[in-house]
Amino acid sequence: MNQEGILRHSATRLLGLIPTLLVLITIAFFLIRMAPGGPFDSEKVLPPEIRANLDAKYHLDEPLMQQYFRYLGQIITLDFGPSFQYKDWTVNELIARGFPVSLTVGGLAMLLAFLVGTSIGITAALRQNTAMDYSIMGVAMLGISIPNFVVAPLLILVLAVYQGWLPAGGWDWSIQRMILPVVTLALPVIAYIARLTRGSMIEVLHSNYIRTARAKGLPGHLVIRRHALKPALLPVISFMGPATAGLITGSVVIERIYSIPGLGSYFVQGALNRDYTLVMGVVIFYGVIIILLNFIVDLLYAWMNPKIRYDEVQ
Amino acid sequence: MALLEVRDLRVQFETPEGVVQAVNGIDFQVESGETLAIVGESGAGKSQLVMAIMGLLAENGSASGEADFKGRDLMKMPPKELNKIRGCEIAMIFQDPMTSLNPFLTIEKQMTEVVMHHQGLRKQEARAHAVEMLRAVRIPDPEERVKQYPHEYSGGMRQRVMIAMGLLCEPDLLIADEPSTALDVTVQAQITQLVGELRDKSNMSVILITHDMAVVAEVCDRIIVMYAGEMVETGTVDDIFYRPRHPYTQGLLASVPRLDRLSDDELHAIPGNPPNLLDLPSGCRFRDRCSMAREVCFGVPPLQVQENGCMSRCFIDMNNGEFLPAESKGVEENAGEDSK
Amino acid sequence: MTIALPIRILLASSFLLLAACGDSGSDFSRPRETRNQPVELVLLEDGRPHPAVLAEEQLVRRGNGEEPQTLDPHLAEGVPSTHILRDLFEGLTTESPDGDVIPGAAARWNISRDARTYTFYLRRDSRWSNGDPLIAEDFVYGLRRSANPETASNSAVMLLPIQNAREVLAGELPAEELGISLLDEFTLQITLTGPTPYFLGMLTHPATYPVNRRNVEEFGDQFSRPGKLVSNGAFVLKSWKPRVSIELEKNPLFREADQTLIERVVYLPIEELSTEVTQFRSGGLDWTNEVPNNQFKWLQRYYPDELIISPWMGSYFFGFNLATEPFVENPELRQALILAIDRQVITEKVTQFGEQPSFALVPRGIDGYVPFSPEYADWTQEQRNEEARRLYELAGYSSDEPLRVEIRYNSSENHKKIALAIASMWKQVLGVNASLVNEEFRVFLQNRAQKAITQVFRAGWISDYNDPYSFLEIFRTGRRRTKLSSRNCGCDAILDEVGTERVRARRERLMFEAERVLLSDFVIIPIYTYVTKRLVDQHLRGWQNNVMDHHLTRYMFMLKTREPEAEVPAAKVEPEPELVPEPELVPEPEPQQGVNDVPSSEISDDEDMDVDGTSGEIQAEVEAEQATRTRKEGKGL
Repeated sequence: MNQEGILRHSATRLLGLIPTLLVLITIAFFLIRMAPGGPFDSEKVLPPEIRANLDAKYHLDEPLMQQYFRYLGQIITLDFGPSFQYKDWTVNELIARGFPVSLTVGGLAMLLAFLVGTSIGITAALRQNTAMDYSIMGVAMLGISIPNFVVAPLLILVLAVYQGWLPAGGWDWSIQRMILPVVTLALPVIAYIARLTRGSMIEVLHSNYIRTARAKGLPGHLVIRRHALKPALLPVISFMGPATAGLITGSVVIERIYSIPGLGSYFVQGALNRDYTLVMGVVIFYGVIIILLNFIVDLLYAWMNPKIRYDEVQ
Repeated sequence: MALLEVRDLRVQFETPEGVVQAVNGIDFQVESGETLAIVGESGAGKSQLVMAIMGLLAENGSASGEADFKGRDLMKMPPKELNKIRGCEIAMIFQDPMTSLNPFLTIEKQMTEVVMHHQGLRKQEARAHAVEMLRAVRIPDPEERVKQYPHEYSGGMRQRVMIAMGLLCEPDLLIADEPSTALDVTVQAQITQLVGELRDKSNMSVILITHDMAVVAEVCDRIIVMYAGEMVETGTVDDIFYRPRHPYTQGLLASVPRLDRLSDDELHAIPGNPPNLLDLPSGCRFRDRCSMAREVCFGVPPLQVQENGCMSRCFIDMNNGEFLPAESKGVEENAGEDSK
Repeated sequence: MTIALPIRILLASSFLLLAACGDSGSDFSRPRETRNQPVELVLLEDGRPHPAVLAEEQLVRRGNGEEPQTLDPHLAEGVPSTHILRDLFEGLTTESPDGDVIPGAAARWNISRDARTYTFYLRRDSRWSNGDPLIAEDFVYGLRRSANPETASNSAVMLLPIQNAREVLAGELPAEELGISLLDEFTLQITLTGPTPYFLGMLTHPATYPVNRRNVEEFGDQFSRPGKLVSNGAFVLKSWKPRVSIELEKNPLFREADQTLIERVVYLPIEELSTEVTQFRSGGLDWTNEVPNNQFKWLQRYYPDELIISPWMGSYFFGFNLATEPFVENPELRQALILAIDRQVITEKVTQFGEQPSFALVPRGIDGYVPFSPEYADWTQEQRNEEARRLYELAGYSSDEPLRVEIRYNSSENHKKIALAIASMWKQVLGVNASLVNEEFRVFLQNRAQKAITQVFRAGWISDYNDPYSFLEIFRTGRRRTKLSSRNCGCDAILDEVGTERVRARRERLMFEAERVLLSDFVIIPIYTYVTKRLVDQHLRGWQNNVMDHHLTRYMFMLKTREPEAEVPAAKVEPEPELVPEPELVPEPEPQQGVNDVPSSEISDDEDMDVDGTSGEIQAEVEAEQATRTRKEGKGL
């Protein structure tokens, strides 16, 4: 394996990120501006004098192209500007406060989903077509098909309201308050990963090299651990890229139901309120996160799969 | 006592379409230092026969019968015991070298784990041993190549690795399941020759499965010809090659290109296809493709046994090529059974 | 058997789900948590609660809807911000628990004869939370900052009655030209463009609050951050975690700190209404901002004591776009559509929240004003339907040629249900083919303002100040505030008169006339007047229902929890309302008692207004107003 080659390859890929982001910024900028209505529209229409002051303060009175280039100039310095809606905060501050929360909840959910999902997926695969396999997969099917906004209130009702074991919502970085949102967020992913793992594990177990490993007289657990696990997890790894991006950028449903100050609600609120700076800031941030995660997953994939690694470096 | 003695081995698979009888009551022995070839067309049950012995059948397969290896029945052995024999006393090389090595592990890892597991060698020793074995199978620059992954090897090289891996523990029996089929023609011969050479050096027994009669002639002592899950003929290489009794064996030999034949038009394939294992014909299984088939072939053909161990499952008398008289059928068959 | 297993699990789970989701009827949905009961309230002679009944920890956790947009009082818009700012700051005037305007930072004021000049006399002992004395200059600075175009306040609307405010906002005059003047260190004069009877009420709005100059100049636009913000209200800002919580602490320097019982207020921004309810039920909230409509019946059944419903100063109605057919000239059609709606069904079956069905624009109970009631308000629905059919035919429509019309609303479950009900009533009674169009809020607003494609549209108005004029004003032609009205319905002139009329009775008559004219032109379809609905923990007392829905935390207090055994022998005293002479709790009686150095609401004869009896009349009105507001409604305290 060629260390330098991988580095060079990574650098090229990261540089390729810039034009992607520029396209993203441009499309997002003009799309949100094209949406009818503006940030200061409400049921109570503002007197023109006041409206003019607001437009001037946020440069909305300038021609659109001028605003666009002003914005580009601004974000080069990594300054996303003040939020239109949350006037006391800058978009940078809101992201800096929201993202760690989303990252924690989403990251823990992904970790949980990965550990539990792969475990039960492997268990089911090793007991293929038994009652256990069917029940695990039946429950997993259920996990995928029941949406979050149904599971969450049920969990709250039982664990928080009736039993009083956990808080019903809110956020203070304590473990108790993380449990319910993390579990709710993880459930469908657990189910999906379990199905994915089961499928790929069964396929791997039928492969010739597993037969070779068994012919070598290796005990069953060693065959699974050393020979089957890595290839069986490859599809899970590639699924995890977009899935992690989805989880750590914040789930609006989970954030609302559990009243968690993550990034997802800022995105939706920003879009609904035409909070141009907030929406743009979050979109760009999301873009970077998603591109980076896919990149990391590619690296991970290559690290796990020597063939890819070999081909890419060539 | 024979190294491996197989009695009445049967393998069946449950498929959605029904039960498939892949191997239907095979008996044979492998002596120490002997090389046995099992030949036959694809689907004849050659591979499933050895898979059953190795305990490597797919989940929907089941086997019955006995396979005594050094006096212990592999078929009834608990998995733990079997694992001590597999890879150590009996090694196996598979048909498809491209997929039989784990693409996610280095050659070193895959080779050393065998000796580390079976012989308790430490990593360094195991590695030295692996390199040595690679050298023995003529992998150039084995110290470097041992660190590589399977995809960095060509097909022939991979099969050499498989052989090296099989020989690491100096097994008493090597089962090679069509080791050269998937390889280039030029490489095929090298692999077969390599197996022969290594056998000669170590005095191990070899079961070589192939449908390539040319390969057999070079390295084998004895041949079992299988057709549709049954053994149709067995004998020494000389017997089979120069005095094939069974029409199927004759057909097989006729389909092999040979230098001593004059022209291509003498080379011919056996007409038709092997029977559907789900729906076997009654009587002789080869009947539908046999140019000599007669009325009598609708009955179950007898297994004729000769003094020298040659056998043939046919209505044609092994000794004179005439059709057996109808009444002798049962007697001969019984005689065959008794001889074991 | 093996395949049947997951199916069985699926079935079992779905039953569980159904059972859990059903909101009424089944016993499964009954709450299992047991709520503690507070001790009986015992009051001291001065009307304050006896210290023995107070909980050790005087903490209130208030659900507060969405994340507040800002804590800069001059930028404040939206209800969540203003709730908090009313606790942090105090304007020249403030509100009593029942929503009456009472002296705040100003101990008293004079109103000139022409009702255009207000002179405020500040309390001399008030201080900022940093110790600075609160002086008249702070108010001048605050109002000028609020009006300054650079501040770009969108609640500066509240300043428009002040002389030159429009010009200052437009940048035509410097902020110094705003009609405020400093008479001395503690005296302040505000000049208005015209009589504005609700001006004192407007002074309770954050846009008119003072800010500490030193504070603002030191920290600039970050002065509203925790640890920086200096305020003059009953509480100070302790922490602010966006979308998590805003925590306030009692301000020991507040002028009535000795009467403020609550030590700590935590405002929790909870967007999801059902989350608020579950948090309340699990004991994480004492006060919710709202409750979801679909849980009303359930809450009413199981939380009858906690569920508080009270009229609110808002109207829900639909409007006709008079700029497009078929409504341009067709009063018969418009009236038919107004009549054919059974409001009773909408409030009782659709919204289900005790909203008041309405045939008028102005809600009842605003500042004693009785809204205009058209004659058909007293008819039965059958009579209304009959008349509607007659008018519908008169307008030229029939079952063969039915009216086709679009009802447009912004996406929301509630609007949708109501629009659907209206459409089906029109269909049933008149045979109208109405289709529903829902739009995202901002899109809806734009379409409504453009008046090009909209036909029938949803609208609603929640007033900023306690005056019917707030509702009537939105239908003034050329008034850009709502863009609801597109032509002069004849009430502009009357509204102009209302603007200058300072005699209360006459002013009310004029507003009544304006509303009559407006309703007789059938430009809107009144549906109902809003109510506020929330859960309040029974331990939390000291607040009262009011139409403004303003509840200052400084009046509240927490009762101790009743200990199960100890309280059993104690005879159940009397029903609570009799035990609670709530006016004594509030500083309302102060003027009479002379607690403060100067009586507050007195209108003294001042250089502007000693000429005739007008001042007496105004004073009488002020007193009358106060008298009418001693009504005790709801179950506060």
